[in-house]
Amino acid sequence: MGTIDQTADGDRYVSLHNSPEFRALRRQSHTFTAWAGVVFYGWWFLVILLAAFAPGFYRQGLVGPINVGLLFVFVSFNLVVVVSSAYMRFARTRLDPLGDRVRANLEGDLR
Amino acid sequence: MSGFLSMPHLPPVENTWAAPAISTAVAIVLVVVVTVVVRSARDSTRTPDGFLLADRKVPAAQNTLAHLGAFIMYSTVIIMVGHIALNGFDAILMVTAFTIGSVIGVLIYAGPMRNVGGHTIGDLFVLRARERPARIASAVITLTTYTMFMVSMLAAVGQVAIRMFDTGSEPNMLLGGLVVVVVGLVVIAWVYMGGMLGVTRMLALKTVLMAAFVLVLTVVVLAKYKMDILGLLDDAQANAKPDARGFELLEPGRQFGEGSTPLSDQDPWVHASKLFCIAVGGMGMPWVFMRFYVATNARAARQSAGWASVIAVGFYQCLAILGLGAVAILGANNFGMRSEHRDITLPKLADELGGPWMSGIFGGLALISVAAVFAGLLINGVTSFTKDINAARGRRPEPAAELREIRRNVLVIGLLSIVVGGAMVPLFTHIFIPTVVDLGAATVLPAILYTLYWRRFNTRGLKWTVYGGMAVTVFMIVFSNGVSGDPTTAMFPDLNFKIFDIEPGLLSTPIAFLLGYIGTVTSDERNDAGFAELQVRALTGVTVPSRTSPVATGGADGQDRESQTPSAV
Repeated sequence: MGTIDQTADGDRYVSLHNSPEFRALRRQSHTFTAWAGVVFYGWWFLVILLAAFAPGFYRQGLVGPINVGLLFVFVSFNLVVVVSSAYMRFARTRLDPLGDRVRANLEGDLR
Repeated sequence: MSGFLSMPHLPPVENTWAAPAISTAVAIVLVVVVTVVVRSARDSTRTPDGFLLADRKVPAAQNTLAHLGAFIMYSTVIIMVGHIALNGFDAILMVTAFTIGSVIGVLIYAGPMRNVGGHTIGDLFVLRARERPARIASAVITLTTYTMFMVSMLAAVGQVAIRMFDTGSEPNMLLGGLVVVVVGLVVIAWVYMGGMLGVTRMLALKTVLMAAFVLVLTVVVLAKYKMDILGLLDDAQANAKPDARGFELLEPGRQFGEGSTPLSDQDPWVHASKLFCIAVGGMGMPWVFMRFYVATNARAARQSAGWASVIAVGFYQCLAILGLGAVAILGANNFGMRSEHRDITLPKLADELGGPWMSGIFGGLALISVAAVFAGLLINGVTSFTKDINAARGRRPEPAAELREIRRNVLVIGLLSIVVGGAMVPLFTHIFIPTVVDLGAATVLPAILYTLYWRRFNTRGLKWTVYGGMAVTVFMIVFSNGVSGDPTTAMFPDLNFKIFDIEPGLLSTPIAFLLGYIGTVTSDERNDAGFAELQVRALTGVTVPSRTSPVATGGADGQDRESQTPSAV
């Protein structure tokens, strides 16, 4: 993400911000958020646009009273569960250890 | 202008479900229980941070329930069930949008907000902008949304009173007004006594009770169909209110189709814009953010938000079953048949399935439920008023003086809310909740995204995003069908100067992003050190003790740094 303004150098936060551990943490966090956000919201905007402009697609019957539209609603509900739990898991197993290392660095510096 | 106080929005309806005696008894028992629960928290209110943040010691499970509780209110439960019964698929998409919106809280808001800490979103903004404008922006957002939502919640209290505590066919405005005042005073007493911990426990308790009630009702509905959900859907389809345009209940069209919005040619964008705004702005509520601040750490905040969104999925699916079940079980013409009567469908269903006991218990629960949301709002408004305004004025009161100030603000803001809010109830209510959601999308979301992710963002960018997004939203609301041009629901039904039927957030959100960008790049201010501090703190939660260059952060140091050690807290 580029380098930090020289005038601010020497600042503790800036050096932490530039440390490889923090960069790794930020890259992982942003990558997950960006992908999950784009895919998830992309799906939702698709659901809305289909309902608004291609209702015929949703009206196709599947089983009894169930149609494609209801299936898409059901998928959307479950996607919320999937994305939320995936992020909780990702943050716990991947982000938190990286954060701990950044913090350990800082505490090492202060000692 | 005439006819406000006679509430033209509520045509008469034969009330066959209310059980006022049981509802009153249940409500009184619940008030006693909640008072005991709130009193148990009074030891935590001896310091400012104890009062406003429960010392950041709220257990994750309790915080999850309280988080959910912020969304269980009149409009998201009672009205949505009736909405689904009337409009089927298109309304189910709307409850889906509520859960979609919760994901922004999990992915973006929860962890960073708790990591940065503080009391309001102002604590986030001060790292990227000069202190005074940052604090004022935070206070403006919080207090504007507070006022609008407070009016809606007071109106909801009155509505519950009219529907569930009275059996007359005409709305009993006197009873409604009386209940609003009494419940309002009780809520002020609760907040005064228990502070944030009391409010949290109250919200958690009401979530458990309300969720249990909805679950029982759903199980009874499904049991009636021997778990045959296809049979239930078939019956719902068969009993549905016929649509003049021929749209079936379980298919898109009743809200999307041409002619869904009176005197408008903007369908299907009207409903689509609502779904967009709820999904994007639903989490941008200051009183939701306080749930992140009170968590023990960022992990707990993330988990509260995450579990709340998972449980909400189950909860809203139950509501979808209840809405369709109401049509299937109550039969044609027997539920709320017009949009003003959407709120009678759920009480009627409860009455049908469990008799007066079921609907009576529901009445008491609904009242406490809405009251608890008001309590959550009130403590949030007080937090912003005390913390943001003091910080903007450069005041740093001693803890004891600050605590006195907080308690006084609870009383003053609470009483003012009852007076002002009570007076506004008959006028405005129904446009305020969507407006707050629009503001969540058009002010809070862009401001926070820029703050967290854009290195260049600065004071002018913040101001332009927040005030620009707000101005565009309010401008569009004034020229929307909530104000004029709609003969049944507009504030001025006889006038027509509307331009927009779509939900303003659809346009004001991208405009706010654009304004934030233009404002930022036209200003020379640039603070890379502030950005570094923000990102490090937001992602890791570390706080470097004794900063060497306090100027760079715009004077954020001080009262809000509760922890000066590089710890995980």
